[in-house]
Amino acid sequence: MRIGAVITALGWLIVFISCFILVPVPVSLIYADGRWMAFLCSSLVGFLLGGGAILCIRPEKEIGHREGFVIVSLSWLLASAVGELPYYLSGTIPSVVDAFFEAMSGFTTTGATILIEVEPLGPSLLFWRSLTHWLGGMGIIVLSVAILPFLGIGGMQLVQAEMSGPVKDRLAPRIQDTARILWTVYVVITGVLILLLLFAGVDFYSAVNHSMATIATGGFSTMTTSVAGFQNIWVEIILVIFMMASGVNFTLYYRLYKRNWQTVFNDEELRFYIGVFFITTLAVAVLNFYEDIYQDFGQSLRHASFVVSSMLTTTGFGTEDYDKWGAASKFLIIFVMLCGGMAGSTAGGIKHVRVLLFYRFSVIQIKKYIHPRSVEALKINSSKIPSDVIQGVLGFISLYVAFFLTATVIISIQGGDLVTNASAVLATLNSCGPGFGGVGPARNFAHLPDLTKLVLAICMLAGRLELYTLVVLVVPGLWKGAHGPVFRWQKKEKYLWR
Amino acid sequence: MRILIVGAGEVGKHLCGQLSSENHDVVLIDKNPASLRRIERQMNIMGVSGNGASAQALEQGGVREADLFIAVTDVDELNLIACVMANEYGVKRKVARVKNEAYLSGASPLSQYKLGIDLIINPDKLMADEIFKLSQIPQAFEVVEFAHGDVVLLGYDVAANNPLCGITLQDAKELRGLYDFLVVAIVRDRNTIIPRGGDILQPGDKMYLVVRRKDILAIETLLNIRQEKPHKIFIVGGGQVGKRIAKEIAQTKVEVFLAETNAERCEELSEQLGPVIILNIDGLESQELITEGIDTADLVIAVTDSDTTNILSSLLAKHYGAKRCITRISRPDFIPLLKKLGIDIALSPRLVAANSILRFVRRGAILSASSLSGSEAETVELVVSERWQYIDWRIKNIQFPAGVNVGAIVRGINIIVPSGDSVIKAGDHLILFAIKNTVTTLERFLAE
Repeated sequence: MRIGAVITALGWLIVFISCFILVPVPVSLIYADGRWMAFLCSSLVGFLLGGGAILCIRPEKEIGHREGFVIVSLSWLLASAVGELPYYLSGTIPSVVDAFFEAMSGFTTTGATILIEVEPLGPSLLFWRSLTHWLGGMGIIVLSVAILPFLGIGGMQLVQAEMSGPVKDRLAPRIQDTARILWTVYVVITGVLILLLLFAGVDFYSAVNHSMATIATGGFSTMTTSVAGFQNIWVEIILVIFMMASGVNFTLYYRLYKRNWQTVFNDEELRFYIGVFFITTLAVAVLNFYEDIYQDFGQSLRHASFVVSSMLTTTGFGTEDYDKWGAASKFLIIFVMLCGGMAGSTAGGIKHVRVLLFYRFSVIQIKKYIHPRSVEALKINSSKIPSDVIQGVLGFISLYVAFFLTATVIISIQGGDLVTNASAVLATLNSCGPGFGGVGPARNFAHLPDLTKLVLAICMLAGRLELYTLVVLVVPGLWKGAHGPVFRWQKKEKYLWR
Repeated sequence: MRILIVGAGEVGKHLCGQLSSENHDVVLIDKNPASLRRIERQMNIMGVSGNGASAQALEQGGVREADLFIAVTDVDELNLIACVMANEYGVKRKVARVKNEAYLSGASPLSQYKLGIDLIINPDKLMADEIFKLSQIPQAFEVVEFAHGDVVLLGYDVAANNPLCGITLQDAKELRGLYDFLVVAIVRDRNTIIPRGGDILQPGDKMYLVVRRKDILAIETLLNIRQEKPHKIFIVGGGQVGKRIAKEIAQTKVEVFLAETNAERCEELSEQLGPVIILNIDGLESQELITEGIDTADLVIAVTDSDTTNILSSLLAKHYGAKRCITRISRPDFIPLLKKLGIDIALSPRLVAANSILRFVRRGAILSASSLSGSEAETVELVVSERWQYIDWRIKNIQFPAGVNVGAIVRGINIIVPSGDSVIKAGDHLILFAIKNTVTTLERFLAE
């Protein structure tokens, strides 16, 4: 472990984030909400911190996979720490913990908020909230690897630690090109959504904000009432389609662009994902209709499809308070929330490919009871899944359960009821946003104690980085034999190269 | 540049690492997905699992956009077919590793040009050539040729009796008298130093010299590193490599012993190699080897197929008094270790093959580039074109890319030891020392 390499890389990433903190400044000036100073100061702090790190530490080129874990985890923590400054310095969120929670919720595309009303933030801070979503959606690291050339081979280690899914497929030989392709797809889809929302009659500002929050599967809205505030069925339909589209593996879009139709349409994860959406939507719509929550089936279908797609893709936009639905519907919502999106998408959750793999693995295990000596290969997309990938998925699911239980116990010590606590952990771990009970879609996270908020913020990060990357940080073995940074002013050896 | 490499063996892996670090788009095709994933995790390349001679795998790897195709699996036939296919896809340059020379040489109606292959790599032949080159300058642990072999870079261990020891390189200039030589790099404790006039050589260092070929003898004498011309060379292992070396060395009128464990192979060898003394001894039968005088050999070359045999027989020979040894080892990662054990030169055939492919790949203004073993440095030989903007400039005024030093200027038959006031002219060969992976930057710099 080379701490020097970690600090240098983190320095660059903070500088990178600080550049983006400047983006809301013109927004603030246009809408004259007087918040631009807060952004300027925040980014100045970021530049000083990051620049200081870069200038003081002698750079070390080599980034191995261990450094990769540390850099990725810490860069998200630091991004949130710097990203909270605009909220804090502007005085709109007076508590540091609250501001951190909000920033982390933004970057991890969770969309859980501690704000009772969002409008008082003003246009520029609301834009910053949406922007954090958008940056975090495809990944800060993936973006920086795509744009910053200096990361080189190290960039590969970083992307692998950040990208989601059990198997990372490459679109181009070099990881930088892969990152560029993914971000291009991302930008294009966001642009298309902005245009469509404009056509549907949404004003430009809301269209941009909601597009960024949708494609990142974030869930922050510029209105306290969220998407319900539009009162526009077309907006809802467009958002359902684009939320679902954001939960799809982004590499598939590139394959579509390359006219690789077969691969896309035969993708079993995609079929599974779409199947889950339609079946759950129908089931929830029918259940709600029969439980007389909605008198009109059309109305029931409308709300069911929006809530299911919002929760399945872990976006967390609200049109309806699903907390008043029946137990069966609520349970289905928890189920889709756990499934999350597809691997390689911007969505959180366990990911459909893992659920599919887990299901097929279980089926094979059960068959073994009947034919003890049988051998059956686990296949997805008609290719055999190697056993180390299967083990990785099984380990992930166990770790997921363990993480969920631990976090729930910790926050339960500080009070609250079972449903609120468990669903708060689930909603943050899946980067969904709203949960049930005290943190339901019509409520928020403001009333929770500070420690709980911090634990939930960690849950968001763990969920975004798919557990392993964050959890290894607390394993002592990672830090063994770490050697500290070398400052630039320390005596330089005469050797040109070491 | 998009490069397709077929075969994730040692050669393929080495090429991947080198080429991807030079910012090429590298795609590696191999039938073993597990080893591909391992390499993908370490290097910035894309792996495609499948048969390298199948259209499906090739197209998946983007063969249509490829500029260079390198087939280096262990199977000759597969490499040939893969290259022929790549030719059909319109790849410009193709390299194949082919061990069996019977396919394309002699009376064969096929030739590499007919098949559209630009370079055929035969690892055994390359290995034999390399060892022969080293055997002719036995004190050097590294020999790199520049300017068609007229100028060589030699690596020597610095012993205490070396007159260069303990004096500054500035003073050493007076010592060298008529002969031009230049200490271009020193490796001390695995650190590479580009020496200035004030640096002092210490015993235990490794030094790299640039000299004219015809001066080697004199300079070796001057530096007290010349020992008598080898009289007796002992080769362990009568495979392809051993046979080739024995044949070449025997022509230089040196007594050559060749030990081979297989009796039938021995008969075959004695048929083909006239003056060589063929012994039917296994490389691990220490008593027999000593009886035959491996302990009095000036040079022991261990080139059996087994790494263990090679290492043990070299160590045995050294222990009983053989002067030097050259050992073949198939796993390049262990080369630094062997030097510690007392093996003078360890060579990996795969690395040798990979390096010669790299030299081919970099054809252009850069004539050759080779990495110095045990150091972070690379030597690059290049020709200065007439269009270069720094023609007739003094070296001190030229902003070379970071990590690049001019080691020597070769103009005609003269080697110029450069100082800040030396002028670079069109047509000069520059021998540069560069930190690894600056080759791409250099190429761009030269095009300016």
